[in-house]
Amino acid sequence: MGNFYSYRKLEDNVFIEIAGVEFEDFEVGQVFEHRPGRTFTAEENRRHTFRSADLLARNADAVYNQKVYGGEEVINETLVLSTVTAMTTKTFNKVVANLGWTDVKLPTPVKAGDTIYAESELLGTRESKSRPAQAVLHVRTRAVNQHGDEVCSFERKLLIYKRGLGPYEDAGY
Amino acid sequence: MAEYAYPSHVKVGENRFRERYGLDFEEFQVGQVFKHRPGLTITQQDNIEDAFDTLNQAMIHFDANYASKTEWKKPLVVSTLTLQRLIGLTWKTFFKKTRILGWSALNMTAPVFGGDTLYAETEIKAKQEIEDDSSCGKLTVETRGTNQDGKTVCTMEYDMLVYKRDHVPFEQANY
Repeated sequence: MGNFYSYRKLEDNVFIEIAGVEFEDFEVGQVFEHRPGRTFTAEENRRHTFRSADLLARNADAVYNQKVYGGEEVINETLVLSTVTAMTTKTFNKVVANLGWTDVKLPTPVKAGDTIYAESELLGTRESKSRPAQAVLHVRTRAVNQHGDEVCSFERKLLIYKRGLGPYEDAGY
Repeated sequence: MAEYAYPSHVKVGENRFRERYGLDFEEFQVGQVFKHRPGLTITQQDNIEDAFDTLNQAMIHFDANYASKTEWKKPLVVSTLTLQRLIGLTWKTFFKKTRILGWSALNMTAPVFGGDTLYAETEIKAKQEIEDDSSCGKLTVETRGTNQDGKTVCTMEYDMLVYKRDHVPFEQANY
């Protein structure tokens, strides 16, 4: 089972939802399957791209897209990376900040209508030297589409609060 | 006297000019640095919407009361929202990219908050031919994002494919 709980009991029959696994409960080798999956649409891809000040004709002009890219609605690479990272936040909710990513690979383009699923493996855990209340997780995340083809993989390091040292009780969590 | 480079329009007829975007693969040279304009201001509303659009559950992005108790004191902008905006800001120079292949490194070097304004610049680090596709070449670039105070908030190195001049199907699309 492990020490992964959804609630903390405040009093009899009163439960408060817990956000995220505690640093002390992570162990190298654990794999977390993230849910829900996520389906991409052509319209959100356009909206996302335009809001990023990215006015590429690939997204703006369907005639151009047809002639240059064969009419495929390829989901913006930055939206794929953003979404795969975000899908890990139920488990890695006690994050302080992301430090960085390495080896971000996008082996199969994601198309409009595709649904992706992500999972994360713990590669390393260590306490932060400069931030005594915090620790560093080293994680590998990979995502596949509905056919099982890998669409994104990366390694990431993130800062996370240690048990009892985050601002959770103070903030009513 | 200012010196100019790379045409912004193609002359397609008498007194008729068509807007041109992006450099061809052949025009990129290792060592070039492109400063992208305009900049873009990120708001806290953008941050909340992006968090939920991507299924991000981390309340550091959308619970201001919780965020006020952290060392940041206010909601932290989603790291990958900064990434999205920085790549977006590069669009005019890299209009002829076919796709981004991947990032070898992506570093968040300072926090970004709602109200901050991002500027991007990109340095060409390497270019190479690719064996199985003669229509494109591969560029390795570093994009750096700075805020309104000139502080670097993000650096990233990534590979993309860019169309070559003779293989660009842009003309038939009236571009």
